[in-house]
Amino acid sequence: MTIAQAAQPDFLDPALSYSIHGWEPMWTAYMPLLTYKREGGSELMPGLAEEMPEVSADGKTYELTLRKGVKYSDGTPVKASDFEHSIKRVLNLESGGAPYYEVIEGADKYLSGGKPDADISGIEANDKTGEITIKLVEPDSAFNFVLAMNFASLLPGDTPFENMTNDPAPGVGPYMFTKTVPNREFVLERNPEFTADTIPGVPVANLDTVKTVITTSVPRQTQEVIDNKLDFMQEPVAADFIGEILDRFGPDGSEEQRYKEFTTLSTYYFFLNTKTPPFDDPKVREAVNLGVDKPALARLFAGTLEPGCSFLPPEMPGYSEELDGEGCPWGDPSQPPDLERAKQLIKEAGAEGTEVTVWGDNIDPTPKVTQAYADQLNQIGLDATPKIVDGGVYFQTIGNESTGAQTGFLNWFGDFPHPANFFFLVDGATIQPTNNQNMSNVDDPHINKELKELGREPDINQVTDRWEALNEYLVEKAYLVPYGYRKLSTFMSERMNFADCTPINPVIYNDYSQWCLKDE
Amino acid sequence: MGARQEEAGSEGIEFTLDAPDALAGDPAERPGLSPWRLTGRRLRRDKFALAAGVVFLLIVAACLAAPLWANYVAETTPEANHLSDKVLIDGKPTEVVDLRGTPIGPTWSDHFFLGADGNGRDIMVRLLYGGRNSLMVGLVAALGTIAIGLVLGLLAGYYRGRADSVIRGVLDVIWAFPVVLLGVALGTALALGGLQIGPVTIEGDSLAIPILIIAVIYIPYLARPVRGQALALREREFVEAARAQGMGSLRVVFSEVLPNVASTLVVFLPLLVANAILLEASLSFLGAGVQPPNPSWGTMIAEGVERISSAPHLTIVPGALLVASVLSLNIFGEGVRDALDPRAKVRIEH
Repeated sequence: MTIAQAAQPDFLDPALSYSIHGWEPMWTAYMPLLTYKREGGSELMPGLAEEMPEVSADGKTYELTLRKGVKYSDGTPVKASDFEHSIKRVLNLESGGAPYYEVIEGADKYLSGGKPDADISGIEANDKTGEITIKLVEPDSAFNFVLAMNFASLLPGDTPFENMTNDPAPGVGPYMFTKTVPNREFVLERNPEFTADTIPGVPVANLDTVKTVITTSVPRQTQEVIDNKLDFMQEPVAADFIGEILDRFGPDGSEEQRYKEFTTLSTYYFFLNTKTPPFDDPKVREAVNLGVDKPALARLFAGTLEPGCSFLPPEMPGYSEELDGEGCPWGDPSQPPDLERAKQLIKEAGAEGTEVTVWGDNIDPTPKVTQAYADQLNQIGLDATPKIVDGGVYFQTIGNESTGAQTGFLNWFGDFPHPANFFFLVDGATIQPTNNQNMSNVDDPHINKELKELGREPDINQVTDRWEALNEYLVEKAYLVPYGYRKLSTFMSERMNFADCTPINPVIYNDYSQWCLKDE
Repeated sequence: MGARQEEAGSEGIEFTLDAPDALAGDPAERPGLSPWRLTGRRLRRDKFALAAGVVFLLIVAACLAAPLWANYVAETTPEANHLSDKVLIDGKPTEVVDLRGTPIGPTWSDHFFLGADGNGRDIMVRLLYGGRNSLMVGLVAALGTIAIGLVLGLLAGYYRGRADSVIRGVLDVIWAFPVVLLGVALGTALALGGLQIGPVTIEGDSLAIPILIIAVIYIPYLARPVRGQALALREREFVEAARAQGMGSLRVVFSEVLPNVASTLVVFLPLLVANAILLEASLSFLGAGVQPPNPSWGTMIAEGVERISSAPHLTIVPGALLVASVLSLNIFGEGVRDALDPRAKVRIEH
């Protein structure tokens, strides 16, 4: 089958790739010690490890044992020490995922030493027994999920400390990369070393070959899937075609279903810089939360945004459905805003006519959202002007203290289904003068204390209610304005068995290995 | 990049500024009329050029009347979003932007006469306000080009030597870049950080940024022919006579040479404005020109591209007005050129 992406994946190297374009194909060709259950949902299961890890009472030591007899796609046996080598590559190559593994004991020394082959003291691996022991500097409640990220996929111990995109390394997975032509195409073929017994719960690939072509025009991709010239498009369908596609191929369409939407682990929000006027005044922040018209903003996403009020998205532990309804302190997010109350609060705060610069990048639909948000701020009495900057420098610009960005567009797509992966964005400890990600500069003692304590709790199920309370607290404090969760789509040609073979993983999304043709 | 304009005297272009000479071969012209009156008489005979000029003036007038339409007819502003609003069409309330983000098309009534854009903004209002921005950028940039290009061209041509080398070198550097590429590079850089020239600070989203960029980019296209003319004129008898009378160089340049290049400027002005409008649209389309929320025809076309199938009015309407403006200006400019000197061939090609 032939599928399309609008851009070459950032990397075809699991240690480096940090994009949907890379993660989807990578997930089928590489395997970490832990992975997600393949039938959908966000539950973890053992990947290359025999069992889920045994965690010490202090939460700082993880013990795992490697599966026996597993081979990479080139026939090389998988060894326990390959895990340490793979983590070294993540750290040494300065991968975007490296910070997740800096919690491992000795990672900082390894990084400062600058020697690729040096030892990471916190990882002990025994190739004979397959035992792997990981020691952490401090407990990390999300570490199981960190172990399940593509970054931690095992690669052969002789994989060079360099970007392997042009010649992807062998891995363990239903598929293997057999051809890559940068910016044109890459091909996945069924991995002959991978059987149904290799990793129980991870089935072998249904299709022999999945060829991905790079087609920059999303409207062209969409038309080609409609015409059955392409079997799948990785991008969301072009906004121009959504009406036609829903009418014809949607769940209630006139033809056989080929299109569905799914909500991602994502939150779209506006940051409100609590260190800068007028948003250092809680009344102004509350007014903005009251005045933002969430259903209106959803229209700018061509219906692919579910309006919401919660910072944590649906399917995330700690998410509360009630908060996305009448329980929202700023009004039901599916209803129009309370402009009168918002205006009153702006008046009370003496902020009428205060000049506000609203930041956004130039990647669609952000410019439209930024302008609509600025208009909504004007409606409640502020004097807002949108400022659109290039997407390549957006985060550096607004994350720089000297810019003094007051408010603007942000979103976050979760790397794994753990609330800590969202709440670091409002952790006072993460505020920094440059490359700041806590754009609202939230430094609330209660949030900081809770995050510290919850970060030590290895079992998320024991503390779900505390995460829920923290989520509610954050929303009530109006430190930011969450307004919805992004929906993505799966759209396939008519020869694909859409009804039975398109499970969605909340983190990785589409699982190529489970796709099948109608006649199979 | 197409063929470029050559300097005066070289193949492909000819500037003739001595109007009586130019008109000598026309038996229909009455002797005794000044060159400018002769030009006016000829232009009045060119109905096609005059009609184009009238079309352009109508567009300008409509754009100048934008606040009247916005306040008294459409009752909205170019920035006001109406994402959740409804408008009555045939007595039925219709969403300005539907749940899938498709905006309403032309209603041919007071509100949303030409439809709405993706943000639910009135296209007619934005079109008129956008026209003000596009035309202003085009006109001011063209005047800027003429002001700077004229001075540089005159100085380089009259003084020759080192001044000529330096000015020509700078012009060659600008000339060497493809127009749109240079515009996008400058526009992108300046849109982020703005521009600081001594005590003057220009914000990145100011209209002054595209004006400045376009004005600078087109300088060589004017300065080089002016320089060529100045080179020729400095050898003429009347200039020598002025020098012999003890006039200073600068006075000779501005009182003797400058009036003799005036007709070139008159020919260039409409063509430069048309090209500046077009370049502004190109830069804005690519995100390096007029910055949101300011509308311009280029930004409007860019915003409409992704809905070209479901809402074609988003691109067709500003595109049509852009074509009408540029075409009418070009036709009028050609008419002026023909009236001034039927033998001259002036084009700005890049």
